[in-house]
Amino acid sequence: MAKSWFLGVPELRRALGVILVLALGLFLLLPLLTMVVWAFADVWRYPHLLPSSYSLRWWSWVFHNGNMTKAIFWSLTTAPVVTLLSAVICLPAAYSFSRLNFPGRRFFFISLLAANAFPKFGLYISIATLFFRLNLINTFWGVVFIQMINTLVVMTWIPAAGFDSVPRELEEAGRDSGAGPFRVFWRITLPIAMPALIVGGILAFLAAFDEAQGTFIVGAPRITTMPVLMYTLVTNYPEPASAVFSILLAVPSLVLLLIARRFLLAGYLAAGFKGR
Amino acid sequence: MVRESSGHARAVEAVKPALTSYKPARWREPALGLLLASPPVVVVLLLIALPAVQAALFSLGQVPQDNAAYSTGMHLVSSPTLTLAVYRDLLSSPFFRADIKLTAVVTVWSVVLTLLIGYVLSLYVRFASGRLPTAVRSLYLLPMFVPVVIASYALITFYVDRGQLQALLHAAGLGYKPVIYRATGIIIGQVWANIPFAVLMLGSGLDGIPQELVEAAQDVGASPWRILWRIVVPLNIVPALIVLTFTFIGVVGSFTIPFLLGPNAPQMLGVAMNAYFTSYQQPQAAAAMAVMAFLACAVAGGLYVWGTSRTGRTV
Repeated sequence: MAKSWFLGVPELRRALGVILVLALGLFLLLPLLTMVVWAFADVWRYPHLLPSSYSLRWWSWVFHNGNMTKAIFWSLTTAPVVTLLSAVICLPAAYSFSRLNFPGRRFFFISLLAANAFPKFGLYISIATLFFRLNLINTFWGVVFIQMINTLVVMTWIPAAGFDSVPRELEEAGRDSGAGPFRVFWRITLPIAMPALIVGGILAFLAAFDEAQGTFIVGAPRITTMPVLMYTLVTNYPEPASAVFSILLAVPSLVLLLIARRFLLAGYLAAGFKGR
Repeated sequence: MVRESSGHARAVEAVKPALTSYKPARWREPALGLLLASPPVVVVLLLIALPAVQAALFSLGQVPQDNAAYSTGMHLVSSPTLTLAVYRDLLSSPFFRADIKLTAVVTVWSVVLTLLIGYVLSLYVRFASGRLPTAVRSLYLLPMFVPVVIASYALITFYVDRGQLQALLHAAGLGYKPVIYRATGIIIGQVWANIPFAVLMLGSGLDGIPQELVEAAQDVGASPWRILWRIVVPLNIVPALIVLTFTFIGVVGSFTIPFLLGPNAPQMLGVAMNAYFTSYQQPQAAAAMAVMAFLACAVAGGLYVWGTSRTGRTV
């Protein structure tokens, strides 16, 4: 009862809630559903609400197209490597920001925001020039580095909040019972902070997986990932081709949604963005 | 990898004197802290700060001769001293002014609508009971996991002229005013994509408001609206500020959504930047746009820093 203060009349409140949820659901889901139907459509003309005939030929077209399989391969190799590398670079920093006191701590923490605040296209040109000198253009590692820029904030801020949430008393109790600092870290700190690390990792993976502009500038024509190819598809191919490819491209993300849902709702993302 | 390890090495050099010339116990923590924190900062320095400074100097008339992508551009302004000529030329162009106006309009509407819809949803999830709020909790996360290029494509198939929405409205005997390839299309896309972050932030803030406070206000007869305005909104101001900042930064710098859902002219800054660089071969104008967009984002970032430092770590 105490929870239902925000509208006096219960029936009204419930009706409003249902309408709200329905509207939101339609707003979020209908475009995706339309796309799914397109993936199986053969002929679908306005104003028909459903296709007049169905076909699977675009599915076989996608799987037999060399560019497609290449893009799937590059997407599924770059994004995990970016996530791992980002973890290696950012997680020690996250621990440091959370637990150690050093000069410029707050400044360095916020300076990571620059990775999000400078328009990427203005940077990719300068970065591409730098990569050209380092022979990173058109290479796997060049693409990995460019995709990693987008992962720094989530991979540092959210795990840092995770380390914040580990009670110091637990660590002290561990030390009191004779465990060394590394043992305390592995057996107490890390397991408690792990959900935040998982959220950071998943968001980093999504950011890398989603990146198209920088990947195109650094990787094309040899390394084209799925989002890069998607731009060509949307503009040059009939609807079902893009729709089929979209579904394939969305699958890894939706699997991650199922894994991450619980952790995301636990508030780690919000804690990470609340500053320090 | 080369750059990161050299960054490490530099950081080690920087802290070495500190480690040797002072009492180790006193200096161990700051030294270790700096060392561990440096890798992502070094990456930002090399891949963001340096290129950004280079782009800014270029936009101010300093043309680097060793950078072919810059020095072969058209309409180059090259000056021995810093000059604002590139900015003056850009801002005097009516086409670019229309781009700025579109960017401003889309950004303001997207931020306001995202904040508003996010607030309503998070209030519902926080204070309503039953099974529906649980369903909403799963639903609003969805856009976060759909790659933005797919989301844009899906929105096109749904909202485009003679698309699915028009077909649905037609079946219901209603008319339809097309939104795709217009400013409205971009705003719909931005709101769609930004809802998860807004609800996660605002919802987490609402979870932190003590139930006793709300109940106490109810007991003294405060109306729901009064509780909302006098207790909930003021206590939840920092998360709202964070949503505002990050939605703003995301929308101003966005490319995919305005590129696929927006009009050919005028264009949002992110799309115009791309066009000036690749189609018009005017990298200097593109760099100037990047700097302008960054300055706008820096103001928003300052708001974030101000908001989160004012309340410290208590929120």
